[in-house]
Amino acid sequence: MSEIRVDTISEKTSANGVAIDGLTIKDGGCAALDAKPAVLVTNSGNQEIANNTNTLVTFDTETVDSDGAFASNTFTVPTGEDGMYGIFARGSMQGIDAGEFTQLRIYLNGSASSFFEARMTSHADNIEMKYSAGGFLNLAATNTIKMYWFQNSGDAQNLNTASLYIFKLGGTS
Amino acid sequence: MAQLYTKVCLYLEANSKTWDDTKILLQDDGSGPYIKDWNIDGLAKPSDSQIASYETAGNTRESNNTVKKTRRKAYGDIGGQLDEIYKDIDAWKARIKKIKDDNPKG
Repeated sequence: MSEIRVDTISEKTSANGVAIDGLTIKDGGCAALDAKPAVLVTNSGNQEIANNTNTLVTFDTETVDSDGAFASNTFTVPTGEDGMYGIFARGSMQGIDAGEFTQLRIYLNGSASSFFEARMTSHADNIEMKYSAGGFLNLAATNTIKMYWFQNSGDAQNLNTASLYIFKLGGTS
Repeated sequence: MAQLYTKVCLYLEANSKTWDDTKILLQDDGSGPYIKDWNIDGLAKPSDSQIASYETAGNTRESNNTVKKTRRKAYGDIGGQLDEIYKDIDAWKARIKKIKDDNPKG
């Protein structure tokens, strides 16, 4: 068995990466995933959601925004960061009665993505709906991601503990 | 202020139409709710002034909807009410009347 000892292996061509045909990590080692760009944003207060209206969720706290990719409640894929992204969103809403529902949607480039539509219908009166939705999408530079919330209780209701977590997993598959 | 959904419903009813989730989409992108999609056959999308004209009626509708919700919760489960009627219909009627009296519509 031959051995090569180096500090860094760099790609020959920019953005092409380094291909390794068969890789074994031994002795309890691990491969660290850069997972950037990454964004974790939350809302520390309540946001009023009007009845029967898809409403853009607003955030007041950026816990993580690795590449400055989040602004105006919108995540925009930076140039050169095309790839597979994990997207997870959550929220909570009280005052939902039997038969009424809340809905969490992720908008891709201004339109609702069918991959991220979570709806929960209340089975009783004055129920708190608390849930999350997530998945993975191939995104390209300048693509935008936003979180929307909907409810049909008949009155305006408060969305609380909303959060959105987005991170890059790797290159486009 | 009455919600856009309520005022749109009143506009539809005034023109012999009903709300249809598949044909109307209300959205708020951070600058207030607006009608994003409107595909009602034979009825034009309402103008801002037409929507505004339903403000008072919208407030009344929403107030009454709140009253109806409160009443419905106080009435209780329909199965339980049938049991009340079977046991003492006059007592049931008195309880329902009190709920209505305590929660008058506008």
